[in-house]
Amino acid sequence: MDAREALRLDSVRKVYGTADNSVTALDGVTLRLPTGTFTAIMGPSGSGKSTLLQCAAGLDRPTEGTVAIAGQPIPKGSEAAVTRFRRDRIGFVFQQFNLLPTLTALENVTLPLRLAGRRIDKKRCAGLLAQVGLGDRMQHRPAQLSGGQQQRVAIARALASAPALIFADEPTGALDTRSAREVLALLATAVREQGQTVVMVTHDPAAAAYADKVIFLADGRVVGELARPTADAVAERMTHLADEAARRALVGV
Amino acid sequence: MVTLALRTLRHRTGGFLATFAATFLGATILMAFGSLLDTAAAGVDPATEETLTLVASVAGGWCLLIVAFAVASTLTLAVRQRDREMALLRSIGATPGQVGRMIVVEAVVVAFVAVVVAIPAGFGLGRLLFRLLVETEQVGAGVAHRFGFIAVGIGVGVTVLGALLATLVTTRRIARLAAHQALVADEPQRMGWKRVTLGWLLVAAGANCGLLTVLLFSDAGSDAMQTAGQASIYASAGLALLSPVLIRGVTAVLAVPLTRFGGASGYLTVANLRRRSQQMAGALMPIILFTGISLGTLVMQSVENRATDDGGTIPASMERNIETLNLVVVGMLALFAAIMLVNTLVAAITYRRREFGQQRLTGATPGQVRRMVGAESAVLAVTGVLFGSLASLATIVPYTIARTDRLVPDAPALIWPAIAGVAVVLTMAASIGTARRALRTPATEAVGLTA
Repeated sequence: MDAREALRLDSVRKVYGTADNSVTALDGVTLRLPTGTFTAIMGPSGSGKSTLLQCAAGLDRPTEGTVAIAGQPIPKGSEAAVTRFRRDRIGFVFQQFNLLPTLTALENVTLPLRLAGRRIDKKRCAGLLAQVGLGDRMQHRPAQLSGGQQQRVAIARALASAPALIFADEPTGALDTRSAREVLALLATAVREQGQTVVMVTHDPAAAAYADKVIFLADGRVVGELARPTADAVAERMTHLADEAARRALVGV
Repeated sequence: MVTLALRTLRHRTGGFLATFAATFLGATILMAFGSLLDTAAAGVDPATEETLTLVASVAGGWCLLIVAFAVASTLTLAVRQRDREMALLRSIGATPGQVGRMIVVEAVVVAFVAVVVAIPAGFGLGRLLFRLLVETEQVGAGVAHRFGFIAVGIGVGVTVLGALLATLVTTRRIARLAAHQALVADEPQRMGWKRVTLGWLLVAAGANCGLLTVLLFSDAGSDAMQTAGQASIYASAGLALLSPVLIRGVTAVLAVPLTRFGGASGYLTVANLRRRSQQMAGALMPIILFTGISLGTLVMQSVENRATDDGGTIPASMERNIETLNLVVVGMLALFAAIMLVNTLVAAITYRRREFGQQRLTGATPGQVRRMVGAESAVLAVTGVLFGSLASLATIVPYTIARTDRLVPDAPALIWPAIAGVAVVLTMAASIGTARRALRTPATEAVGLTA
């Protein structure tokens, strides 16, 4: 196992449902993502990209195969054991922000450290909020912030524990174009300037263009990659994938 | 909107269980007392008529106050929990009036069904109450129990009207929020001046009853119960209304130890208690009522029993009747408050499933979430028992002075720990049990992330 590999998936399969009525969401996915990269995962709806993210992040358990974060396999124990593993190594940015409504912006940023029982460097956390442009909003509560601002708090929170890997699940899905661009630029900066590793699930070609590499998923399998993507190239590839899926559905394979 | 209301009722029956339980129990109790008035009105001897009217209006009056209170608070909670749904309806073009009508129709239909089901239960309970009065010879043996228009009228009138009023008030709040605001609605943190004023007025009324007991009924025997018994009910209801302030006060004291020794769970507990004092107050109210009323009445009764024993007099039938009646009323109110308590806690915690999911995704282990809920309910239980006990003093101290010329009641030492224990166990068991169940949903599902 190589610790410079931020994420490693080996033949991960995920099957939902019972034996006679099962859906294969992931069908043997193998991936290696080096530290310091920004990867976008794309695919038509139902391609398994959310399942991939949840299995890779330890939020769901693969049926077969293994997942390792920074060289350490995700433990197979109780939810508490997986949570402890996750909060030390993984940061999250969700579509719906998931900030706690009773806590201020700064308290939300320090919460993961607090839950992990780690020392809280308030100055550093405040610095992270300033870095995402919210230096003057630290004492505001989520309800007092716009969607874009809430998502920036979520990014500062993900960075606070200096994780090996940040997962972003449709981080711009609930935002207007301008806020979306700001959020993506912040994620890209974290990768380029601080050596963070980011894995982002998205369906938006413009968002994927911020990544170093796009991985395409269809029917639970990796079906292609695109390095140094542009929005147009990604869009073209996606149209192609959608056509293919429609064709396959028609033939009934 | 009426159609939507009926659809919602049909498909989400479980969501209305709390409202149903509160109105059903409330109506049952009110009808039981109402049937005594029916019996009195049917032409009985003057002594029986007086007893029945007295029992129905005094004991029934208290139940009426508590039932109206409980139905209103359950409904308020039930509506508040549906903020998101309301916001959704508003955002797709429903006018505030339409949303309001939907809520009101739902509440009235549920209340009405509950009241109809409560009729046989109220009949049974009324008969039981009546038999108690006959057995203690307060009512002539030849009198037959009746259950008629007064019972049904009071039962239906109070609960359905109470439900109607409570929802009208709650929906006014929703109507004031603009649709976009409703989506991010944050609870107002200040209590309305009306609520504060009413709270203090009730506390003052309690103190006044206590004072009257000492001034008017010293050495007047068990007559002092007339004013003393009410004192703790008033005081408890007043403190219950002031709950948000009480929570903030207690939290201010406990904030330092909770964050220092409670870890991340304690830290979250303090944040929740501070910034959600209004919602937490919903659970505190029944704890205060339960503790205050049952403690006040039970200690008063045992002071009375001791005083009679010490006087060497054989308790007259009148005294025995009063004892029975006191116990019946306390039993009913305590049962009602206990059900309200469990009702409120289960509803409030189930509603927080999403919040628990968010905490787990941020790195909280299920144990940390459980400890947070545990610490919260411990603070609520301790606060409730503390202020409930305080309210009960409004009955206990004046009655002890009036009846025995002493300050400290001569009552079994076990009463307080028993009542406090029931309050604490109910609170903790309901919250932690519900939290445990809520945690069984995977965190990703709880926050609405689906694969």
